[in-house]
Amino acid sequence: MWAYLVRRLLYYIPLYLCILLVLMLLLRIDVDSAVAAQLGKNATPEQIELKKQSMGLDQPFYRQYASFLGDVFTLSFDQRSWEQELPVGEMIRKAVPPTLMITIPSLVFTAIISIVVGLVCSFNRGRFLDRWLMIIAVLGMSVSYLVYIIIGQYFGAFVLGQRMGITPFEIEGYEAVFPPIEGSEGPVWVPWNWVEYCALPVIIGVVVAMGYDTRFYRAVMVEECARDYITTATAKGATSKKIMFVHMLKNAMIPIVTRVMISLPFLIAGSILVEMYFSIPGMGRTMINAIVGRDFPVVQATVSVFAAFVIVTVILTDVCYALVDPRVRLS
Amino acid sequence: MGTIAAGIRNFGCGILTAAVLAGAAHAQEKVAQLPIRTDGPKSLDPVQGSTTYDNMACAQIFETLLVNQYADPMKFEPLLLAELPERLDDGKRFRFKLKQGVKFHDNPCFPNGEGREVTTDDVFYSLKRLADDQYEFENWWLLKDTIVGLNEFKENANDGEPSTPADYSMPVEGFKKISDHEFEIELVAPVTRFEWVLTMFQTSVVPREAVEHYGEDFFRNPVGTGPFMLESWTPKKDMTVVRNPHYHEVYYPERNAWEREDRRAGLHRAAGERVPFLDKIEFTMFPQDQPMWLQFAAGNIGYTQVPDEYFPQAFDKRTKELLPEMAAKGVRGHANKLLDFIFRGFNMEDELVGGYTPEKKALRQAISLAVDLNEFNETFYSGLNVVYDGPIPPGLDGYPEGGRAPKAYQGPNLDLARRKLAEAGYPNGEGLPPITYYSNRGGNAPEQTELLERQLSRIGVRLDVQLVDFSVVIDTVNKKNAPMFSFAWSSDYPDGENNLALFYGPNESPGSNHYNYKRDEYDRMYEQILTMPAGSERTEIMVKMRDMLLEDMPYIGSMARERHYTINPWLLNCKPTERYYGWFKFLDVDDSKR
Repeated sequence: MWAYLVRRLLYYIPLYLCILLVLMLLLRIDVDSAVAAQLGKNATPEQIELKKQSMGLDQPFYRQYASFLGDVFTLSFDQRSWEQELPVGEMIRKAVPPTLMITIPSLVFTAIISIVVGLVCSFNRGRFLDRWLMIIAVLGMSVSYLVYIIIGQYFGAFVLGQRMGITPFEIEGYEAVFPPIEGSEGPVWVPWNWVEYCALPVIIGVVVAMGYDTRFYRAVMVEECARDYITTATAKGATSKKIMFVHMLKNAMIPIVTRVMISLPFLIAGSILVEMYFSIPGMGRTMINAIVGRDFPVVQATVSVFAAFVIVTVILTDVCYALVDPRVRLS
Repeated sequence: MGTIAAGIRNFGCGILTAAVLAGAAHAQEKVAQLPIRTDGPKSLDPVQGSTTYDNMACAQIFETLLVNQYADPMKFEPLLLAELPERLDDGKRFRFKLKQGVKFHDNPCFPNGEGREVTTDDVFYSLKRLADDQYEFENWWLLKDTIVGLNEFKENANDGEPSTPADYSMPVEGFKKISDHEFEIELVAPVTRFEWVLTMFQTSVVPREAVEHYGEDFFRNPVGTGPFMLESWTPKKDMTVVRNPHYHEVYYPERNAWEREDRRAGLHRAAGERVPFLDKIEFTMFPQDQPMWLQFAAGNIGYTQVPDEYFPQAFDKRTKELLPEMAAKGVRGHANKLLDFIFRGFNMEDELVGGYTPEKKALRQAISLAVDLNEFNETFYSGLNVVYDGPIPPGLDGYPEGGRAPKAYQGPNLDLARRKLAEAGYPNGEGLPPITYYSNRGGNAPEQTELLERQLSRIGVRLDVQLVDFSVVIDTVNKKNAPMFSFAWSSDYPDGENNLALFYGPNESPGSNHYNYKRDEYDRMYEQILTMPAGSERTEIMVKMRDMLLEDMPYIGSMARERHYTINPWLLNCKPTERYYGWFKFLDVDDSKR
């Protein structure tokens, strides 16, 4: 397996270098206007040129590329953000935890609920329950994410608090779930911070993703239902519960693993909309601010981290296949 | 906030008593929660700031020599000065007296961590920073060509390498130190706006020790003389400032400084009291409007700018009066006219639409007469903008009474527009090629352009629309390649001169005269008002200049935004203005009204 992993990793290195190359080329299509945007409306061409020098943008492209590769492979994102003037590494380090507080629970809850609903639907396919659950799923996925956020924030946080006097969720904001507390060693878990600031975005995320995921898992399970081993298990008198959660689930693990694994990189990328509306200082917000503000160092660093995550995830997915299905051999 | 969650947490932790005690202590502390619309400041170093949000943050921590008056922000008064500067040599020289006993915040950059007194050297150092190439030229325009010797300082003190600081030991001829608390500044020529420049937050006084101690991190370790000191700042999220215990003596404006309407709102009640009243201000950044509006409606933030889409929830759209249900909750409304000049410009050097002959003027006048700005206002701004004639925005000398000048070519008047078009040699638009029109592609600019096209098509004028990035619009206009373009200008200081400068010949593109408007007579009048003190004589000349522009029509306009605010009953002394942001020190809270 290790040989396989190393070989796959080596295959992906040229791809990764190409991604970084394309990224840097795209960012450098119109360097002057990006620099001018940083300098403001009164910048003269000479001032733009001087600024480019100070940013190293006057260097030949291959040098800029080599320098960036050096930063990526040594994981030293010390360059400062053009917009916020903070070291990029520090910005990423601060943005990842809030994002993970939203995305990990969203992924876990969505996967568990969708798989269970998918199983129930497939086992009852064509019946009243299946039809209603699928209608709800289609309705759910037909509504824009933004609508869920706006309505969720209004009713879930504001109306609940103002009209009913129950305020479990904050309208917006974020407090660390594992803040460093004076006098204690290392960070301390404050679960209510999670409830107040993260639970509502997570609920909204789960509701949105469930429509898509339920339909996908139902399709996978329906296919499994038609297999001979299910007929055999039924003939042998296995209970529905056992057939669904032991036999079917085990055999449907490959598409489940694929679906979950392809979601993993997005754990880091976060959700731009949720983070913007709930003022969560996560990666999605950092990335979109950097793109809008043409903050090259931050865009480069975040995209390179994200691309690396995608590659690692793809390799890990293969490993997971071998773990859940003994027929798969890594060679 | 978070009643259930907070309750369970306290119960779970078994520290209910401590929480009650902590609550009692909190009750004594006056804390205001305020919003910063968008994602807030990008730097807390005044010399690097340029946006409203930089201003809002810096103005709590740093102070300028002069400051806008809270009761009437169109006027200024001394802040770090003991009195208004003395004008000498007909405004070519200014003598300043610093207020005694003003100290910088306590900070580790000073010996023993104790802030020292502000002196003349600090003022000179702070002004020289604007000429330091290290700070990216963002604000150099404020003092460029203004102070004797400062241009030379910029040239000689910087070594051409933007990453190294300027040599601050080099003298500036126009800076004359009389004593630690007295100095003179000599100007290249008398410039009326100079005093306004000294109210701008970029000219705030900073201590050299702090800049050198924190180096490139000074922008997040600000040390000033302001009423508040930075406690924490998470960029794009929140910022907390706490009261400066050694703040110099500043008092709330006297009763008679307030207009009757302000007094009716109770703004005069703290007259003569020493400020600041608040112990702490917690700012939250809101890049999205809904959370900000909901936080306001929940009473969690003191005031808010009312986003256009929420306007009907707070105000009657027709009368612009606060809705009774809002008033019943004790919410107050407040409106501010902004010093905006929103227009569509012509390049006066363009072969098709430029020029000063009667035919060329008639063409531009025809186009202006075909445009219905009220329809733009209703469609895109909920009817909240102010439509007016001339380039001088509401509230300033030179603004026409009621917004209407005696002779203007404000549309819609399609009959006259058609006649003018015929005078220009294009009856019903025949023979007139499409006019190339540049506009930013962001926001609702594409929809605005469609409306413009539709309005102009009624007289047979067609546009060749170029929707491009804003940087491309600027670049094309700067290169004089845009025959017609869409822009807006927000006055840097409340003087019509700032807007009239947009048409001053020597400011032609790539300067701020994007229209490349050149009339010797206009330029002479501009040079005259530049050095004249405010008064009826100066206003008369400004009116003449305005009318000249209305006749020559180098632009179609004008509109200014009107900003509406709602204020929660627990926030006292609040009269929001965007002219300056040093007014947070006058705010107070009444926690019993929360």
